[in-house]
Order: sequence, then structure tokens, then C-alpha cells
Amino acid sequence: MIKEYFRIAFRNMKVRSLRSWLTILGIVIGIFLITSLMSLSEGLKNSVMAELQMMGGNLIMVMPGDMNDMFTNFIGGMQLENRDIRAIEKVRGVDLVLEMPLEAEIVRYNNESKTSLIYGISYDSGIQLLKEDMGWETVDGRFPYSGRREVMVGNLVPKDIFPGIEVGDEISVKGKKFVVSGVLRSLGNRQDDSTIALDINDFRDITGQREGTPMAVVRIVDGYEVGFVEEGIRYALEETRVRERGEDAPSFSVVSSDAVADMVGNIMGILQAVVIAFASIAIVVGGIGITNTMYTSVRERTKEIGILKAVGAKKKHITSIFLVESGVIGFIGGVGGVVLGILLAKSIEMFFQIHPVFFIEAHVSFSLMFFALGFSFLVGCISGFFPSRSAAKMEPVDALRYE
Amino acid sequence: MNQLLKLEDVWKIYHLGKVKVEVLCGVSLEVNKGEFTAVLGPSGSGKSTLLNVMSCLDIPTSGKVSFEGEDVSNMSEDELASIRGKKIGFVFQQFNLLSHLTALQNVILPTLFQGFTEKEGEKKATEFLNSVGLESRINHRPGELSGGERQRVAIARSLINNPDVIVADEPTGNVDSKTGIKIMEVLKDLNKQGKTVIIVTHDKDLVSYAHRVINIKDGKVQ
Repeated sequence: MIKEYFRIAFRNMKVRSLRSWLTILGIVIGIFLITSLMSLSEGLKNSVMAELQMMGGNLIMVMPGDMNDMFTNFIGGMQLENRDIRAIEKVRGVDLVLEMPLEAEIVRYNNESKTSLIYGISYDSGIQLLKEDMGWETVDGRFPYSGRREVMVGNLVPKDIFPGIEVGDEISVKGKKFVVSGVLRSLGNRQDDSTIALDINDFRDITGQREGTPMAVVRIVDGYEVGFVEEGIRYALEETRVRERGEDAPSFSVVSSDAVADMVGNIMGILQAVVIAFASIAIVVGGIGITNTMYTSVRERTKEIGILKAVGAKKKHITSIFLVESGVIGFIGGVGGVVLGILLAKSIEMFFQIHPVFFIEAHVSFSLMFFALGFSFLVGCISGFFPSRSAAKMEPVDALRYE
Repeated sequence: MNQLLKLEDVWKIYHLGKVKVEVLCGVSLEVNKGEFTAVLGPSGSGKSTLLNVMSCLDIPTSGKVSFEGEDVSNMSEDELASIRGKKIGFVFQQFNLLSHLTALQNVILPTLFQGFTEKEGEKKATEFLNSVGLESRINHRPGELSGGERQRVAIARSLINNPDVIVADEPTGNVDSKTGIKIMEVLKDLNKQGKTVIIVTHDKDLVSYAHRVINIKDGKVQ
């Protein structure tokens, strides 16, 4: 019988096709929002989390300023100075401190000049930390050696920045020549994958920055508790700044890699909850549209209901006919919304691949699609519940008499 | 037992605001199996209401209605629907066909509520449409059929679940007299095949087809 209900539903929708499509559109919009925004936010979360997961649990990030106002700190150019770095190095349990200063410079390759982000790391000690604790790998060539004027480039440099650049090629930064020793595996975001790494001494030399880094990565000695070392760093930095510079309230952010991962995970979770909440409003509106359409349909089909009852239809049959119809409206809306949502999400992904402002990947999971389709069918059924109940309650004689 | 229907002191009262309208006033009658019964009465006499009560489409305000010996007066809507679906076939004055369905789909409709699929019902429906001479019109919608053809579709629909009783409310009311005769001949044939036929009419010419005539006026059997 269920097959017959679907047949009846499609037949009725065909009879009132314009109204059916307009009602479906209401659900399409809601599901479209959920699918596109969820797949984009999920993709964003996955790439950020993947990057964070590359980091080992024995790392601590140190940044100047308050963590909650990272953007302002960065734009304001707040940096850790050499004395801060030295203070961190002296803390018990600290094995290694890696500075990563950044600068935009004009890089030249094969008569082509482009502004690119370069960063400096210590080839002597930093490479080891990047490989062992942050999971960095090369897909071509090898990691650079200190003192040889070598650079390593991000995964997208040979693709987008300097197409065709290979290991062994020469680039120049501010007139100084370097050889590309290796190409890194993707770090998970477009910005990092588009940078060029120099030895910190060369970096300082070229940029003229004698000191300062917007962030330092600290590796702790095996056996030391992360929390203990975190506290030690915080104390040492406060001491340094208060004693040596006379700052009133020095502000630092000292966080472990696990804490960063948790924090980002939470932020992304909140972001997705907000997305669902807003998209749900659209779906509720679509659902009200279905209810309205179904009530109109019940009224228009009063005589039909009477005929069906006269020829033996029970309440459950009438209820099912209208419920399946509203469910089908919801489901078709869901299918349309999922398809359009995926198209939009993939288009955005492609747009940012062509225009690399930042890296974003649309993650369209089967669970998201099943959720969207199931949810739309459910919304359809719930919206059709009261209209179908009112149809089932009609007295056959009254319904037959209706004109 | 030969008795199919029995009405005992049946009243049907409607309340229109503060006005009380007594449509059936203590009707008592019996209909036997295999009978061709005509309920005759002028417009507003309560004959259609009587037919609704007799055919389990409606329940009386008071009194008792027995169908095949079973009291149906206090049955639930679903229990009545079950009786209607299995044992009663309806032919209405306005045909009451669904305009967006073809003749075939209209005839199949009652089988769906008896657990048949549309495919299963299709074979039976085609047979019944053939038996009323509509084999070439099965895929036409009601709007493409004449009044007589529509009524024959309605008759085929009333027969599809092989009911014991055919109930017809003014079956010739919307067709010309020639077609009306044909419709009545079809009903007469069905009666000869063993079906109990009950018709409601105000047309005195039609009572000649019936074994028994029940005259009703002002809600009372005369």
C-alpha cells in the first residue's frame, strides 16, 4: 500500500504542480543553506584540525598579547623579542624554542617577480622539530641544510606562485640567490602552502629584522608535564617583562598544542551550531509553507476525501495519503537543497582554488546528505500532520456534500 | 437468514444553530438480500439521508440499524468504512469520480483500501469496465466522457470489490432519459446476478424496475 500512497502523492502534486513546486522551494532554501554552510564549515574544521593534529602533544605555542585578541596582536605587530626567547629557553623542561618570523618580500624566479610570504626558521634545530613534532615532510627533494643558501618551498609554490619551479632551481630574494632544496607536503591551508622558508640567519639578513617573532614554538623535554612547563614559561616571561622593561601588566598567551586543538574544535562546533540554528529557521518557514499548502489541499480535496471514505478508505488511509504527500514535498525539497548546496559549496571551493585568498575545502559527507534528506522528509511529515489529521476526521457524508 | 438490512425507529436530527431539523422521524424498515428496492420521495423528504444511514455512510441520531444482523448504529468510522469497502458499492447522482484520474484509475481506487496494489486492481478494473461497455474509454478522464459513460464508470467502481449491495442515489439524475434507461438496465442485470440493489429516486418511472418501493415523505415512511 505504501507504494500506492507514493503514487497518489506524485499524482496529486502533478495536478497542482505550480503550488507544489513553490512549496518545495521553501524547503530547498533551508536544506540548501544547511548543506552548503555545513559542508564548508566542516571542510574548514577538517583542514584546521588536520593541521593541528600534525603537531605533537609535547609542543607549546607562545604568542605576545591576549589569545582572545590574536587578530589585533598580529595586525598591531606585537612580537616576542630576543630576551623573551632567552627567558623561555631557560625555563625548566624546555628543550627547544623555534622562532618563526614572517615577512612579505619580492621573490624572483626566471625573470618573474612576485611578492611572497617568507619565513625564517633555524635550519640547525628547527627542521628537526618540524619533522619530528609537527609532521612536516617533503614531497620532492629534501629539507635544506644550514649554510648552503637553500630554501624549501610550500606545496603550492610550484603550482601557483612560480609554476614549473623545481628542486635545484634558483630563486632570488632581495637580490640574494638561493637554491630550492625541497617542496613540502601540503600543510593543510593555502597560505602556509604558498610560503618560502629560509634559514633564520638569511631571513634576518635580508629583511633587516634583527629580532622578533610573532610566535614561538616550544618543545618540552620528555617526561616533563606540559602544564608545569606552561606555567614556567608564563612566569619567566612576566618576570622578564616586568623586571627588564618595567611593564605593568605583561600579556602573553602560552598554550599547548592540545589546548589549541580543543579550542579550535570548540569554536568550529559553535560555528556549526549557529549555522544549523539559522538554517533551521529557514526550514521551519518552509515547513509552515507545507502546512499551509496541505491545509489548502485538504480543503480543496474535501469531496475527494468523501469519495475515498465512501469507497472504503479508513482514517489511517486518508492520514497516510496526506502525510506521504507532505513528506514527499519535504524530501524533494531536501534533494533539491542538497544538490544546490553541494554545487554552491564546491563552487566556493573552486573559486578559492583559482583565487587563493585563503584555503577552504567543501566537505560533503554522506552523513550530512542523509541528515539533510531525512530531516527534510521529517519536516514534511510533521508539517503535514495536522492537515492530514483534519482530513481523516472528516465525516464522509459532510465531505461528499462539500462543493 | 434472508434479511440484509433492518432499521428500527431511526431518527436523524440536525442542529443548525438553534434550529432543530428532524430529517428522519422514526423510520423502521427491512431490506432482504437479493431485493431491488426503490426509495421514492420528493425533494427534501429525507430519502438521501435514509440512504446514507442504510449504506453505513452515516449513523442515526437514535434508533438501531442492523446490517447482516450486526448492529452498526454505534460503530466507529473505521468499522463502517470497512463494511462500505467490502460489502457496499456506491453510485452517486453526481458520479463522484476523481477528475484527475482516468476511468481505469477511478475504478481501481476502492481496491487500494482492501490491500490490493494498483497493478492487481488493474486487471479487475479492466474487466468491469469492459462489462459496462467502456473498453475503449479506460484511459480517458471523466471530463472526456459523457454523462452516461461517467455513470457506467461509477457502476464499474461500485462493483470492483464484489459487494453484496449496490446503493444508488438518483443514478439517472444527471443523464438523459435514454441513457437513464441503460443505467437502470445495468442495475437490473446486477440484481439478477444476485446483488441487492437499493436506489433512491424522485422519478416515479424508475420504480417499475424495483421489487419493492418505499415511499418517504417528511422523514417518515408512508
